[in-house]
Amino acid sequence: MLEEIKLKSLNALVEGLSQEELIWLNGYMAGLVKSSQSEVKSIPSVAEKITILFGTETGNSKKLATAFAAKLRKIGLTAKLSSMDQYKLSDLEKEEILLVIISTHGEGEPPAAAKKFYDHLQNNQLNLSKLKYSVLALGDTAYPLFCKAGEDIDVKLSGFGAVSLHALQKCDADYEQSANEWFDLIVEKLTLKQSAEIKLPSVSTSRQRKVYEGKINSKVNLNGNGSLKETFHIEIEAGELQYEPDDSIGIIPENPVATVRSIINLTGVNGLETIFLKDQEISIEESLNEKLNIFFLAERVVKKYAAIVNQEIPSIRMDLLDLIKIYPPKNAVQFKEILIVLEPIAPRLYSISSSLTAHTGEVHITVARNCFQLDQELRHGLCSNYLSQFEEGTSIKFYVHRNLQFKLPSADKDIIMIGPGTGVAPFRAFIEDRANTGATGKSWLFFGDQHFTTDFLYQTEWQGYLASGVLTKMNVAFSRDQQEKIYVQHKMLYHAVELYDWLMNGAYVFVCGAKNPMSLDVEIALLKILETEGSLSAEEAQNFLNQLSAENRYVKDVY
Amino acid sequence: MAKAVNLSPIEKIKKESNNLRGTITESLRDEITGAIVEEDQAVIKFHGMYQQDDRDIREERASKKLDRLYTFMIRLRLPGGFLTPEQWIATHNIAGENSTGIIKITTRQTLQLHGLIKSKIKPTIRAFNEAKLDSIATCGDINRNVVCSSHPKQSSIHNEIFSYADKISQLLMPKTKAYYEIWLDEEKILDKKEEEDLLYQDRYLPRKFKIAIAIPPNNDVDAFANDIGLIAIIENEKLLGYNIAVGGGLSATHGNDATYPRLATVIGFCNSEEQTLKAVYETLTIQRDFGNRSDRKLARLKYTLDKFGVEWFKQELENRIGFKLEKPREYTFNERSDYYGWHQNHEGLWYYTLFVENGRVLDTDEVKLKSALLAVAKAGTANFRFTCNQNIILSDIADQHKSKIETLLQNHGVIKHTTGTSAIRKNSMACVALNTCPLALAEGQRYLPSLISKIEPLLQKHQLSEEDIIIRMTGCPNGCARPYVAEIGLVGTAYGKYNMHIGGDHQGERLNKLFKHNLNEAAILLQLDKLFEKFNKSRMSFERFGDFALNEVNQLLN
Repeated sequence: MLEEIKLKSLNALVEGLSQEELIWLNGYMAGLVKSSQSEVKSIPSVAEKITILFGTETGNSKKLATAFAAKLRKIGLTAKLSSMDQYKLSDLEKEEILLVIISTHGEGEPPAAAKKFYDHLQNNQLNLSKLKYSVLALGDTAYPLFCKAGEDIDVKLSGFGAVSLHALQKCDADYEQSANEWFDLIVEKLTLKQSAEIKLPSVSTSRQRKVYEGKINSKVNLNGNGSLKETFHIEIEAGELQYEPDDSIGIIPENPVATVRSIINLTGVNGLETIFLKDQEISIEESLNEKLNIFFLAERVVKKYAAIVNQEIPSIRMDLLDLIKIYPPKNAVQFKEILIVLEPIAPRLYSISSSLTAHTGEVHITVARNCFQLDQELRHGLCSNYLSQFEEGTSIKFYVHRNLQFKLPSADKDIIMIGPGTGVAPFRAFIEDRANTGATGKSWLFFGDQHFTTDFLYQTEWQGYLASGVLTKMNVAFSRDQQEKIYVQHKMLYHAVELYDWLMNGAYVFVCGAKNPMSLDVEIALLKILETEGSLSAEEAQNFLNQLSAENRYVKDVY
Repeated sequence: MAKAVNLSPIEKIKKESNNLRGTITESLRDEITGAIVEEDQAVIKFHGMYQQDDRDIREERASKKLDRLYTFMIRLRLPGGFLTPEQWIATHNIAGENSTGIIKITTRQTLQLHGLIKSKIKPTIRAFNEAKLDSIATCGDINRNVVCSSHPKQSSIHNEIFSYADKISQLLMPKTKAYYEIWLDEEKILDKKEEEDLLYQDRYLPRKFKIAIAIPPNNDVDAFANDIGLIAIIENEKLLGYNIAVGGGLSATHGNDATYPRLATVIGFCNSEEQTLKAVYETLTIQRDFGNRSDRKLARLKYTLDKFGVEWFKQELENRIGFKLEKPREYTFNERSDYYGWHQNHEGLWYYTLFVENGRVLDTDEVKLKSALLAVAKAGTANFRFTCNQNIILSDIADQHKSKIETLLQNHGVIKHTTGTSAIRKNSMACVALNTCPLALAEGQRYLPSLISKIEPLLQKHQLSEEDIIIRMTGCPNGCARPYVAEIGLVGTAYGKYNMHIGGDHQGERLNKLFKHNLNEAAILLQLDKLFEKFNKSRMSFERFGDFALNEVNQLLN
């Protein structure tokens, strides 16, 4: 915004000013702005370097960061925008203003792309006394460790002497409003526009989610006899259902009554007695049935349990019932202390695999038994528990979780969908939607699994869509039908010429399924196709893909 | 000649198949279905395969949103039913890798594998090719596998007669190179003249065509159930020539009176190889030119023969071969059984015929048949021959190797199985039927063994356990297991229901007759109990069950 010469003199002017002097200058400038608003829309208050760092999993953090950088540009401030995995860590101590946007996943973990940055803070001693910062933490209150990664970063930055521009802002699943408010306040701070009247709650009040009362209408294992897989197609009926084909549903599972009974009997606690959980009075039995996670407790919970019962317990994940059997609490009173340290049951998110346009009042999900695998440890009992909630005729509570990135584009756009295994779920929703809305764009689906004869999920439906032309093209890879393993990326490479043509004609690319290794291999394949078919260098191909990604034309929903 | 109007749809497919290529290559490339397109399903038969699907699980798969479980059956071309030990090992391995693992010996002396998924066809054919085996023309409207009396002890000139199976097979092979192009990636033929086919032209035959060579007195090949039956006439250990019988065929259709099983009619004698091959060849050209091409149910040679008359046929054949057929020579058949156990041929080589129930080679808890045969093959001292009764003859074993083979068979329970099996079971035969045969109305090979277990006590009750009675079952009226020439024929009409035919003779020269309709198991057993009781009480000495039963059925019909 400033001509170089002006910028230079301004820099010369502010150089060496103390903080107090700067603040005074800021105020002075703000006064100038106020008095001459008709001529000058806004003048940035500082010449300090601004960096926006984002750690993204589903793309929400990135989307916010990109939007904020654009807004800053509009008011004449430039900000360096970087994903945490691309960020040069040695630059951190040189930063002046740092805005961090980071989400939290699983059990309080940072996104994979933020891991390096996160660990860098955890494992090093830094001097950040020159740094001003603020952290915007994205999360979901339905999970026990809400916004944990953001919290950790905030604590670390402050511990290294950085000055907080604004207190940590936590956002729930509907993050947009609170995030924008946070950003506006940051901008005001940066431009020193005092506005005492705007106050931000430290945690946004999350809009009450609509919880649906549904009924499981049907549950079918899609895998044929002899398959090593079990993938369930589950149809849920509910009244006044509203969702988009790219959304997910969140289900909070209930604990099995028999297990809860055993816990109550063993501890001698009165199940009807009430306790306070999150300021809500609730009977112990109900809390154990519906609110508290009693299976596969996190190590930190086991640690707290050990402290309460005052016994040595190895720090491994265990079920509450096993803990009670092996390390029984002294009495019912002690058990109530334990209840307080238990964490809430985490909801489980499932990609929706249906479109309302095809199934009025119904939502379908596609659930693989192995998706209940936690920390590599497959525990069958646990899996069965989770699956048993989907027995036909069972009532089920769920909410719709919106997916802001993974959006089916407008009807005239071509789409390339890469979804092996249960990754195919959202694409069934996409295609159902396109079939019922008369989309004109072409669709190409890549699917893969172990065996053609038993693991071709939704095979007859795809055949129908291919015949009717809703699905333009479909290629499949079955890894175990021949000696060499064949995966979706191999099929993409096999069709490189055509795939490149689709990309050049503006096709959107969606990838859904396992993050590692599938989505990584798919990305390598895409880059290779760009390099060979588009005669691009490795770097150019990467830039091209980044560009697609920035335009939301290359979107991943991987886990 | 048949008018070119109202041709059956298959005729169009054959004609437009570009010499049996169709769009098989494109069908193989379709990743989304395990099936091939309908036209190709007709064409691929000429390459020795049927597309099938597992009928047991159709509904289950539909509910799982899975397409039918389409698989392919592949049938080898083994003229006379012969494999070297190396070829048996190759087949064993291919079956394990690509199919259900079970090797099925057919009723026409060859082997077939079931359950190949589409992507496994090419690797299977390539592997067979490496073992010098092929599946050309083993299904489809063309001359099928040529069968020949299987046991070398049958005659000192068995080998000479056996060689005719291969000669005839070669003579009647289609000229198209489609098989090599599609399955073995051989170069495409540019000049179509190279595969010009004077015999089959571009229309092939109206229907399947079967040829058998029999060496009296054993009619183990069921010569009269074939379109052409050649009966070797031997005098003083010299082959004089063959009686030629034409127009046999057993298939029929329930509720269609125009269809019927028919035994071949002996029309003359050929006194040399040249005459014999000419007569065989021109019989095919007559059928090609005069066979019914509009109704496939009436398209076999037997209907052509009955439509135009045997005399007309003989005249037409003599016109085409350019010589007069001699009068048929005398011959006698008296059995159709296999010679179980050890036997020697005229040169002193040893042969062990082992019982394979319904021709299914697999390991069970009692008999490790498949393992035994692999071990025998690996020993490398025995050839494999297959019989039209679906059994195996371990063949051409030199004296010094006999004991080792014996030990291997003993250790795997094969000898006990062969000697310990009842006479009726050894004389039984069933077709594949459910769950893979698309024509099946009722069970075949999956059911007959357990039915026989219930018939055996009845035979014992009436002191008939040692009686060789030929019993055959099919899941539909098409006759693959030749039930109409059995002493007891059970022909499926609906699930669990069979028509009972009795009165066929023991040597396969007389068709049986329909005795009772739509019997369930209890009714079958009740009828047999009554028949066995009467047979035991009233039989004349040496009277066969089939001859006794003919009277019974005739009394019922009169």
